[in-house]
Amino acid sequence: MLCDFHIHTTHSDGSVDLPRVIDLFGQAGFDVIAITDHVVDGDNAIGKLGRFLRLSVTEKKFGDYMERVRKEAQRAWDKYGMLVLPGVEISKNYISSDRSAHILLLDLKRFVPASWDYERIFLEAKRQDALVVACHPHHQSDPTSKDTLFLWNNRERYARYIDAWEIANRDDIFNVISLKKYPYIAGSDFHKTRHLYSWKTLLDCERNVKDVKRCIRDNRGVAITLFRN
Amino acid sequence: MELFWIFAAISGLGLVGYAMQILAVRSHLARQENRQGSGVAHPDIDSWASLEFTDPISVLKPLKGLDDNLFDNLESFCLQDYPQFEIIFCVQDRNDPARKVAAKVQERHPDLDISILVEDCQIGLNPKVNNLLPAYRRAKHPYILISDSNVRVGPDYLRAVIQPMRNPAVGLVSNPIRGVGGRSLGAIFENLHLNSFIMGSVCFLDRFLRMPCVVGKSMLMRRIDLEAAGGLFAVRNVLAEDYVLGRTIHSMGLKVVLSEYPIDNVNHYWSLRRFVNRHTRWGKMRWCIGGFRYLVELISNSVFVSWLSLLFWGPTGYTVVLAGAVSFLKIAGDYFLARRISAGIPSWHFLFSPIKDLLMGILWFAPLLSRSVTWRGNRFRIGPDSLLQPWRGRPATHAFGWTAWLSRRTTVSGRL
Repeated sequence: MLCDFHIHTTHSDGSVDLPRVIDLFGQAGFDVIAITDHVVDGDNAIGKLGRFLRLSVTEKKFGDYMERVRKEAQRAWDKYGMLVLPGVEISKNYISSDRSAHILLLDLKRFVPASWDYERIFLEAKRQDALVVACHPHHQSDPTSKDTLFLWNNRERYARYIDAWEIANRDDIFNVISLKKYPYIAGSDFHKTRHLYSWKTLLDCERNVKDVKRCIRDNRGVAITLFRN
Repeated sequence: MELFWIFAAISGLGLVGYAMQILAVRSHLARQENRQGSGVAHPDIDSWASLEFTDPISVLKPLKGLDDNLFDNLESFCLQDYPQFEIIFCVQDRNDPARKVAAKVQERHPDLDISILVEDCQIGLNPKVNNLLPAYRRAKHPYILISDSNVRVGPDYLRAVIQPMRNPAVGLVSNPIRGVGGRSLGAIFENLHLNSFIMGSVCFLDRFLRMPCVVGKSMLMRRIDLEAAGGLFAVRNVLAEDYVLGRTIHSMGLKVVLSEYPIDNVNHYWSLRRFVNRHTRWGKMRWCIGGFRYLVELISNSVFVSWLSLLFWGPTGYTVVLAGAVSFLKIAGDYFLARRISAGIPSWHFLFSPIKDLLMGILWFAPLLSRSVTWRGNRFRIGPDSLLQPWRGRPATHAFGWTAWLSRRTTVSGRL
């Protein structure tokens, strides 16, 4: 199954709205995708700016966001046979890359604030049976993207909470994940239509939420592919 | 100043030509509307109108890469209200992402006769024909419909497109193309061009000049006629396989008919580069086929000609009025035509129409400078009648001596 677990829409800083994202991936034959708009930490200045610019899903908007994702997920299933997981990208942004971290929570049910400390976020995710993915955990090649190194720098402490690490993000590959033999997936970090062509995950499992999550957690039957037209 | 009036006259002539193209489209589509309203049949099928004609059709769909709305495009052929047809999707590479989309479509319609062929056939130079040949060999019905992957059709398409075949004198049926969608500049340009120049020219040639004009995005033929024309094998080394097939079938004494049924070419996310690449290729193809008739295209680009006067004489009252008036009339004409064919394009897209025409005016010169084309990742040199030759670097001779001189100069400067 061709999968992409890291996709943004206009609910945060993506440039393509949710229905078009669904159609774009559905028309391209994807089997599983996850919608993961940003939830920024509103306690710091960068997060406040993100919220002010409406680049974040807030607690107030979360219900509406999930409802729209669920509605589109149903349409995606009916029309394309494509499974859509609702999720968020918890975005803890600081001036220092070493302090910054982004975490995907997939198949999330209730809102999780980005201002919580890491342990509390991870435990809440476990409580909701959400999948926890550390995204772009190492240095990125895109000069416009800011590195988020906190989780990698503190891997000894946090790895036990993390179900998978992004071994590839859009055009980057993080070989350190391979060296550490951590469970992995790949995602596009989709913000624009051209990001459709990027690293993806291939899963060998049934097309349902339970099996997809188990496949990633067990990290058996997982491969990555560079999706090109 | 006299020269300015010559430019103004050429612009006017271009606008008159465009008005005639609009008339041709109106008249072509009115035929369908009249038929739907009064039950009067196509002139080629008048005497056969009382029969329900639904012979089995083999639909051949060559796939390569992901076109915009590929899933919907492919599925639209599965939703046909037609008694017996097969669909053969063909790809050359097992890892082609289009194969997965075709498989999903097949999975959703298990009751239909759909097959997916993966075969890397390299029998000729035309990549589309190479892709089609294995499917053509497998096709089992007496009617062969070759349909590009980037078109979407309504459920009555097969029923409509086969009707002219009631007349045994008809050998090939193709369809006018309507550009729809447009979420990027390249896609907006592409749709504007398809709905004005391409749609207008095709209908004009068919209605007023009675010239066989085949658009390869949809071609229906009898297998027996296609075999008599040499089959797809005969066009394996030409770029304009649609034109050559149409011409051959016409030379066999059979009619080439333009159906009144417009088919949608969905273009959402084209890059400007893709637009330039396609129309440079098509321009070179028309230059190789039409020779000096290609000059008519430049003259008929009234926007480009009117803006040339602005370039030559600067912004004077005359030149500004000419360029402004011609651009306005062209926008109005494009808008009217798109409304007439129900393309559903947002009104603001038409503001790009003069810019697109200026770009097309510049691209018009490309065939005079080079005969090489890049198509689906392959590079060729095209010769007379769009005959393809493998590209082996810069050719020893050029169409014009000065381009050879220019290329030598460029090479020397590059070395320095």
